[in-house]
Amino acid sequence: MTTNAHVLPPKQAAAAENTLASAKPAGRSDRTGLGTPFIVIGCVLLVAICLFPFWWMSLSSIKTLRELYTVPPIWWPAAPTWGNYHKVLFESNIPRYFLNSVIISVGATGLALCLAVFASYGFARFNFKGKPLFQAFVLVGQLLPTAAIIVPLFVTLRVLGLVNTYFGLILVYMIITLPLSVWMLTSYFKAIPVELDEAAIIDGASRVGVLFRITLPLSKPGIVAVVVYSFVTTWNEFIFALCFASDSSVKTLPIGLAEFSTEFNTDWGAVMAASVIMTLPIALLFLSMQRLFVGGLTAGATKG
Amino acid sequence: MSRQSTGYWFILPALVVLAMLIAYPVAYTGLLSVTDSQSNFVGVKNFATVLRSRATPQAFWNTLYWVGGSIVFQVLLGTATAILLNQSFPGRSVVRSIALIPWVIPSIVAATTFAWMFHTEFGIINYMMTAPGLIEQPIGWLTNRDTVMPVLIAINVWKLFPFVAVMVLAGLQSIPKELYEAARVDGANFWEEVRHIMLPQVRPVLVAVTLLLVIWGLNSITIIYAITRGGPANSTLITPIQIFRIAFENVQFNQAAALSVMFFAVAILIVFFYIKALAAAPGEAR
Repeated sequence: MTTNAHVLPPKQAAAAENTLASAKPAGRSDRTGLGTPFIVIGCVLLVAICLFPFWWMSLSSIKTLRELYTVPPIWWPAAPTWGNYHKVLFESNIPRYFLNSVIISVGATGLALCLAVFASYGFARFNFKGKPLFQAFVLVGQLLPTAAIIVPLFVTLRVLGLVNTYFGLILVYMIITLPLSVWMLTSYFKAIPVELDEAAIIDGASRVGVLFRITLPLSKPGIVAVVVYSFVTTWNEFIFALCFASDSSVKTLPIGLAEFSTEFNTDWGAVMAASVIMTLPIALLFLSMQRLFVGGLTAGATKG
Repeated sequence: MSRQSTGYWFILPALVVLAMLIAYPVAYTGLLSVTDSQSNFVGVKNFATVLRSRATPQAFWNTLYWVGGSIVFQVLLGTATAILLNQSFPGRSVVRSIALIPWVIPSIVAATTFAWMFHTEFGIINYMMTAPGLIEQPIGWLTNRDTVMPVLIAINVWKLFPFVAVMVLAGLQSIPKELYEAARVDGANFWEEVRHIMLPQVRPVLVAVTLLLVIWGLNSITIIYAITRGGPANSTLITPIQIFRIAFENVQFNQAAALSVMFFAVAILIVFFYIKALAAAPGEAR
């Protein structure tokens, strides 16, 4: 999933979320609508298009080799098998790549969050010279064609000895996760009344104390959104991982999967099983947080 | 309420990291592009070498084809989906969640799954088309030079149209209901509402979404790389993959940097003209 988002002040996010979630905008009844046949056909088509590949992937992952390679294709396997999963989990490098992916995604998400919390607080609560310029610079990262900087990044990482290390990839992932994290958190922090900060400072709290005891606890939804976004993006990231982590000790899941499927003799059952394994964590995370995440994402759209 | 300098200390760590990872590489690409592997200044020699290669113009046109083709269908399909999901019907929220699935699935998983579905001999798609007689012979979707790019574009469209749908849907739901009421008084039917109310009202959303899609299209190599690696015979080679090849397969960092500089310039030009064209477009003053 490549995502980018316009995440805007929580007030609007909440408004958009409400309209999306409750799905009952006022005045719906007194307006012309699409005919029922159109709606039914449209929905059936939409659901089929969206779900079929997913279903076919799951189905193929529990077929035996013989059932995979038959014409016409078998719609329901006579003898569903876990053999493909067994192969992926015990006879391939996929578990190792899974672990690498977890370490790198968690690391990149955590580091981006730490840096973004401070930067966002700085942008949200202080006025200083050059602030618009710095904010624009942070956003540029989001618009950069990443392919154009892989060469110098690689050379730099090589000089620093960070090629094929967890930390090298985590650092590089800041390009993707940090700008949006800063942007999202800044708008959340701005929505928190500044009077709370002032009161705490009068009571003797330090700036950092205010940030950790007042601002952060009040912006939990924003932090969750940032964490989900960063984790999903880094989990799915391909091109940087391809260039900077070529050793199997640090290779991530997407690269492992790509190798799996382009070798001369592709074992499609195993590839599909590995695909399911890779999709599950992200699908669960995303669907459980969907309301919050889509709410934040679409707030930008309503603003136009 | 506080000293100016405190703000700098808060933003400093993030800025240092980003400067190191963005500003420095961009500058360094420029330097690499005009030097050779021993760091001697060679002028535009790298650019000339890259431009002489037959693959370069081909990759350029393929990139335009890939980005343009993807965007047209992503926007059309996404907008249609949004209009459908803007209707009220039972089960709407379930359909909306399902419509997000392609977007949630990692690109690499979408690529492998579709590669299997488009398999020449055992793929479900060839079966579904040969069984009812739509096509005579199974088609080698991913090996035939004429079909491979449209198929890759279709996969990319499948992957990203839900994003357009979500954004446009939010735009549709913020349209004031007075507009619909006025249209009803004038006797407008549903399709006239789509044309005269919905589409003009979500135009700003579409503008922003399209820009994002352009940038993502220029960045995306996952689907193409995982399925064809730019083949057959360079027919799906796009510039990002060419950069990767020159740098990591031919190990010609300086030539790759020269190509990166040109790619960067073209990308900026496209974005610049897009924004400029839209700023001048009529209807914005509405």
